[in-house]
Amino acid sequence: MSFFGLPQRPAHNSRMPGFGQAPDHFAALSSKTSGQLESDEGLDFEDTYDGLGDQLDEKDDDLNDDTFGASEPVGKDFDFYGSTAKVAGTINEEHMVFSRQAPKKPQPVVTPKVAPAKPMATAVKSPEPIPDLQPEMSLWNSGATASNHGYAPLIPQYQAPHHESMQLSSTGPKKFMSLEEVEAQILAQSQKPPQPALPQVRSLPPLSEPPQLQSCSSDLQLFPPPAQFLQHTATPPPHNFLPPEQRSSPAPSGTFSQGRPRYFRTHSPAIPTGSPAVLPTGVPTLVQLQQPTDEDRARMLEEESRRLKRNHKIAQLARYNGLMTPADKNFITRIQLQQLVSVNEDSFAEDFYYQVHSAIQARNNPQQPLNQFAQTYLFQQGQYHKGGKFRRQDNHLQRMEQQVQRAVAAAKARPKASQLVLEGSLGKISFSNVKTPRPMLNIHRAGEQPTRKAGTVYTGANKKALLRAIENIYDTLLDLEMHERVIPPSPAMGQPLAVEHTEWKPRRDGLVDKLWREMKIMEPIDPNSSSTHPFIAILSYAKGKKAIPRIFRHIDPEQRVTILTMIVVHLDILDVVKSGIYHANETSLPASVREEIEVFAQTVLPPLLGYVSEAPLHIVIGLLGILLERVDVVFVAKTKIGVAFLTMFTSRAEIIKQSGTVDPVELANWSKTYDRLFETLEPHFLECFPPANFVDDVYMWQFLASMAVGATALQQQRLVAAVKDRVLENVMTSKALPPDVGAQKSANVNLFMRAIGLDVELLG
Amino acid sequence: MLFFSFFKTLVDHEVTIELKNDLSIRGTLKSVDQFLNIKLDDITVIEEGNYPHLSAVKNVFIRGSVVRYVHLPANAVDTALLEDATRREAANTAAQKTR
Repeated sequence: MSFFGLPQRPAHNSRMPGFGQAPDHFAALSSKTSGQLESDEGLDFEDTYDGLGDQLDEKDDDLNDDTFGASEPVGKDFDFYGSTAKVAGTINEEHMVFSRQAPKKPQPVVTPKVAPAKPMATAVKSPEPIPDLQPEMSLWNSGATASNHGYAPLIPQYQAPHHESMQLSSTGPKKFMSLEEVEAQILAQSQKPPQPALPQVRSLPPLSEPPQLQSCSSDLQLFPPPAQFLQHTATPPPHNFLPPEQRSSPAPSGTFSQGRPRYFRTHSPAIPTGSPAVLPTGVPTLVQLQQPTDEDRARMLEEESRRLKRNHKIAQLARYNGLMTPADKNFITRIQLQQLVSVNEDSFAEDFYYQVHSAIQARNNPQQPLNQFAQTYLFQQGQYHKGGKFRRQDNHLQRMEQQVQRAVAAAKARPKASQLVLEGSLGKISFSNVKTPRPMLNIHRAGEQPTRKAGTVYTGANKKALLRAIENIYDTLLDLEMHERVIPPSPAMGQPLAVEHTEWKPRRDGLVDKLWREMKIMEPIDPNSSSTHPFIAILSYAKGKKAIPRIFRHIDPEQRVTILTMIVVHLDILDVVKSGIYHANETSLPASVREEIEVFAQTVLPPLLGYVSEAPLHIVIGLLGILLERVDVVFVAKTKIGVAFLTMFTSRAEIIKQSGTVDPVELANWSKTYDRLFETLEPHFLECFPPANFVDDVYMWQFLASMAVGATALQQQRLVAAVKDRVLENVMTSKALPPDVGAQKSANVNLFMRAIGLDVELLG
Repeated sequence: MLFFSFFKTLVDHEVTIELKNDLSIRGTLKSVDQFLNIKLDDITVIEEGNYPHLSAVKNVFIRGSVVRYVHLPANAVDTALLEDATRREAANTAAQKTR
């Protein structure tokens, strides 16, 4: 059989490794068996089966728990991650706090006093990455480990192409050493005199005139372990070992010493900064090297340990060198720059929700944000601090900042195209950036027209136009609020107003005017028109209602009273009043209506109430007068919102009256208006209550209380007579209800009873 | 940037991410980026029994493009503010178009 219907070929030589049949490890066995039982082809199951399985009692599970342990829930002993993760955040925080508090001292790095030949792992890289070296690493590394010592002198491949070619020409074709050869060499080296103390070797001049070096290097050849010396002065990690063949090659010594200066010269710049100070400047003679004074020795040891410390530090930092390719770094840098470009732009415009939300959060709950914001703040501070501490890093940071600024400027200057159309191509290539991740779809509707600007006729008051009007209000509000945020600090005493002050005020006024216009409140009221006034229509939308408190913050008292008047005049056609009335046999209002009423009570009423609670009496009289004249008060009083307005006026008037500083003429005016209201409502007080006893009727009792307080004794009697039934009914039901609900109900009634000097308790 | 801005405020809140492969993961939102990639901590997988290979996973990084829904904690969302932020966003894009 063959896959894919390919003709089956006699294929491979089955004797070739890998192609033969799998060896049958039991072949011998079976052949033996077949030798013994010649008649049988194989084993019979029945012959071999011992029947133990049949004796098994399948139901004998009772003692399983004893055997395997009870089926307890598996613990979490193994959850090491979880327990660490719990405290990880705290550890981080602690760390940042600590690093900010404690001024950083040079940390003593524990290093052996006498510098031993350090194992390969600590070999130190130069601070500059040498990317070109990377590919060679594995190649030479294996050689080094094979030799098991760091003996091979190193000449980095990339640095000596010239040298190598020379060598090649002089030594003929490359020859790799065999393992035996390496071992033999190691053996030979170990029999040679012991290596001199390391500092001595170290103090060899790193570079100088070739003749000197020539002598050095020839000397080095006598000393078997040049690698150690090189490991220490020069930096590159294990991968720089000289390929074995260079040592083993029967090269004339000239070749080798020619290579040597090259190595030194090329490598000395890679030695970590500061090392020149450590290295002796003079060229020590060999005599010096072999017979150092004690003083020298001590000094060298000290230098050595210092150098090791530093190298260790660098090694710590450089452990991850070369993990990222330059391309990776570029990529990251680009992303970071993009981020910076966007951050530097108006963060409020781009990041409005987050900015405001976090501001609100920070204000509402000083404890909570430590998790999110204080932490970030803390971390940022820590970084800042660090930057200030190290001068060189500081410089780096400054240069970085400048670079970033330039890059940001350049990025801003570049025209922002989000698409590219290549000539001759069928599609568009869209770019992505931080702010606009690449759109997957790009749809242009053919007949799309720019949004209609204001100027639409509102008499038709179609829904779309109204919604547009509301959005315009909000847009203006947002502009205005934004403008309020950038209010310039008030100038110091005696200083003239700065330009920004003189510019800020007119712009604000302009925005308020625009807001006022957008509200359409000044559209003429046409009593004959059947259509709703645009402002009232705007108020019929929840989001229109919600705009009112925000608008109130920006407008002056005159404009406020205009709004109040407008609402009062149209109270009976206000949506919450119009649909807030209970129809016959209706025990509760539809959910949507209740919601609208709720929104109105929470958004529109408070600012109005705020205004009325400070309004002078004549305004209250005027407004109530308008209400009585132009609006069907009985109808209005049957709704929650309508009653709320009435309560608002009567209670305010009563407060003014009781303050005692009222013009008697105005007081008389008020009495007249009040009487009219009382007369109008008297026959209908009971109808004003919501039908079901379970609906919250507290607003009605509040209204009755405010009426009762201002009423004459006669009026009070009539009032009590009118609502007596309801009072009794309420008291009865409150007794039948659970205690807390009942108490609430009787407290509501008591609002009214107290106003007329009575108490529910008196009713028994 | 509206969604980015919005999701940033949900950091350290518990959210449920529904992926396009019908996997739902609930966890604490740790971070989010402009691609709406999401990092979650202390995750639990909804209907964990169906995905036993995920029962040992404690935190995940979710590529933004594979997210279908993010279930939000309602009380962490300021709807009025969100409305305004939406308006601003719309105004911004409108301004950019005319520019």
